Amino acid sequence: MSAGGSGGGAPEAIPQNKLIAFGVIAGLVGVYLSHYLVAYVSTAFSFIGGLAAICAIVWGAAAVRRVASYGLGTGVPSIGMLALGMGVVASMFGLAVGGIAGPIIALLSAAIIGLVIGVLANRVIGMGLPIMEQSMTEIASAGCLTILGLSASMTGTFLFDAVLNNVVATGYIAVIFIAGGLAILHPFNANLGPDEKQDRTLMTAVEKGAIAMIIAGIVSITTDGAASAPTILIGLFIWYMAFEQYRKYVDRDAYDVVGVGLLPTEEEGSE
Amino acid sequence: MIDIAGILIDNILFVALITLGGVLISWSVHFVPVGGAPAAMAQATGIGTGTVQLAAGAGLTGLVTAGAMINVTDSLPLILASGAVGAMIMISVTMIVGTWVYTYGVGVPPASAKVDYDPITKDRQDIYVSQGTEGHGLPTVSFVSGVIGGGLGGIGGAMVYYSLVNITTGLSATNLMGLASIFAVGIFFVNAVIPSYNIGGTIEGFHDPKFKRWPKAVITSFIVTFMCSIVGVIAIGGL
Amino acid sequence: MEPLMGMGVLAIIGAAATIAGASEDLESDVGSQSNPNSQVQLAPQMNYPHRIFNKAISGEPPSNAMLGAVGGTVTSVLMNAYGLSVVFAIAAGALVAALIHGTYCTSAYMGRSASQKRFRQPIYLDIIRSHVPVMMGFAYITTFCILVVSYLMTAVLAHPFPLPLLAFIWGITVGAIGSSTGDVHYGAEREFQNVEFGSGLNAANSGNIVRKAESGLRNGIDNSWFCAKFGGPVTGIAFGMTVFLSGWITAVFDPSTGTTAGWLSVIAGAIIVLALIIWNRRIEVAARNTYGPYKEDEVEA
Repeated sequence: MSAGGSGGGAPEAIPQNKLIAFGVIAGLVGVYLSHYLVAYVSTAFSFIGGLAAICAIVWGAAAVRRVASYGLGTGVPSIGMLALGMGVVASMFGLAVGGIAGPIIALLSAAIIGLVIGVLANRVIGMGLPIMEQSMTEIASAGCLTILGLSASMTGTFLFDAVLNNVVATGYIAVIFIAGGLAILHPFNANLGPDEKQDRTLMTAVEKGAIAMIIAGIVSITTDGAASAPTILIGLFIWYMAFEQYRKYVDRDAYDVVGVGLLPTEEEGSE
Repeated sequence: MIDIAGILIDNILFVALITLGGVLISWSVHFVPVGGAPAAMAQATGIGTGTVQLAAGAGLTGLVTAGAMINVTDSLPLILASGAVGAMIMISVTMIVGTWVYTYGVGVPPASAKVDYDPITKDRQDIYVSQGTEGHGLPTVSFVSGVIGGGLGGIGGAMVYYSLVNITTGLSATNLMGLASIFAVGIFFVNAVIPSYNIGGTIEGFHDPKFKRWPKAVITSFIVTFMCSIVGVIAIGGL
Repeated sequence: MEPLMGMGVLAIIGAAATIAGASEDLESDVGSQSNPNSQVQLAPQMNYPHRIFNKAISGEPPSNAMLGAVGGTVTSVLMNAYGLSVVFAIAAGALVAALIHGTYCTSAYMGRSASQKRFRQPIYLDIIRSHVPVMMGFAYITTFCILVVSYLMTAVLAHPFPLPLLAFIWGITVGAIGSSTGDVHYGAEREFQNVEFGSGLNAANSGNIVRKAESGLRNGIDNSWFCAKFGGPVTGIAFGMTVFLSGWITAVFDPSTGTTAGWLSVIAGAIIVLALIIWNRRIEVAARNTYGPYKEDEVEA
């Protein structure tokens, strides 16, 4: 990206460590909670999987923002494709072998694959980005949790048989892959520029995460274990709130927001 | 608990084939002439898009044709060849239409800035490069290189997919197909991104000095795909 | 399958893919998606604020993959859960995809412009109101056609991949083709009509994009008007050719009738590729002869 990298890390109002803790804990707890609440209380609670995915997406978007502001030499999207590629492999593996410990195994294997790629990128390929190892680990883990959360919200569980029959064999995994991936990638890409602000970028992540949640809700129409209406309605509500808040941030940050107008007049002797 | 060692020993051939496929994909990306954003403004030789995107577009087209072929035949060479042909058609159609746009829409002749003479046609290149640019369009050497890259990527993608659907497993055909295809897409993306970091996002083809960097990406891809293949084989074979 | 039936389906698939390619490229011209947008993004920094839509949705292939996957998912859900007929299901799927695309366009324009505060780039709300519906319209056409292609491949040509995954893959491919072909017409010619045709684009001109239109200030819709004359249609031909040719070789030489036919289809594909290499060479020679070198030959060749 030509106007992207400033080469020095982006200023952060919320420290990354808090976002990591938030993403991991809220993501994992949400996935488990949706499984148990659906199993023992009501299928209506499948929406919690979508909330877990939103938390993971916010974390992933923050990690993308952090590493992409160094300038990767190629477009921002590549790193997210990498992350989702690793995430989908790791999450299917974790769920397939892990049973009830599936999400934890998935998260760990995503983190390991991410770490290995980060180390190799710096040591073998020689990218020399100081935070590459950490960022790749984070993005792969966030991608994995996003996939888990959205799958749980579609099926009401993370047990592999249900996910396999309802999400993978039907091809809905593709929409998880891309809707989750774009929700992680788009925020930084959409707010690219020297006056980018962390809160605005992360609010975009919430908004795009809500869209992924709505889609998951639509898919859950086809599954018995998950209720669709709560997921879709709560997703729409979150989307609306996040979009309104995003607009406020845009109004706050923009040079000017005009209904219609000419180009800004020349000032200060600029040519 | 599943017998991890047993599954791996049973399917050791497929672990090797998946790894080889990933390495082929990674190597293939180095052949594809992409100029990134500058090429979209006719400021650099190559196709005016990102490495990952183009490699993915070509490779996945190959995956679609190979997927159709796997349905009707068991012959591995035929499946690999159909994957290669699918990807080669996609990439050469893209390049020929790119040449139309550069030649008729923008009005610049194809020219490479990295070499003075095209290694295939022996045509002089440097004087055909317009002022202030790094070349533009697709000279023959880049076009041929792109076709080779597409073919290798298609073979790699088809090999990964073929191996995944042939793992011994208790899954039903539909489930296996779905799982194998998304695994193949995931492995494809990982191996398309790694080389694009290696070449810094742009390359003209096999005549570009950057091409010599390929061992780095191939080593990285070898390790990463090996991990992915073990994970994939255990996941599919354990069911 | 009957060979004639296969050919007929293939013709529809090719036609739908051609429309999808053309509308995909025009969508990216209205919204200034993908690589040429780096100049639109750069312009305010070089003191050229503008009224051109500025967006990026993680690159053209992922954004079109999103359209395809969302459309395919909704279509598949409606057909499986409600037994809706395929025509309605595809129409509804494309509509949902276009709506979601609209939110992505809006947040990209607002976000990117807001992040250029120090370069005095305002956000024009009328640009959002006029451009986003146009982009959604093009996105709808693209998604609809990709879904037609994917549905026919799964339902009639018996492709083993599920519909959403196939639509996802064709979305990646149409985006990759669009950003490789039609976008060059927008990036290298339309954005820089102020430099002489065929002179090449000196890197020193970066960011100095044309900001004035035939009437008033130029915007993304003016750009799509220009690109609709060449860039859009050739993108359509490119995607149509890709989909058609890769299916044509197996429709003519059906591999299910035996390995020999399978190998013949591979050979047919290789011949097509070879023909394209030769065609490219002929255009290259013609262009070199017509346009001539930019510099005098200082060294004896």
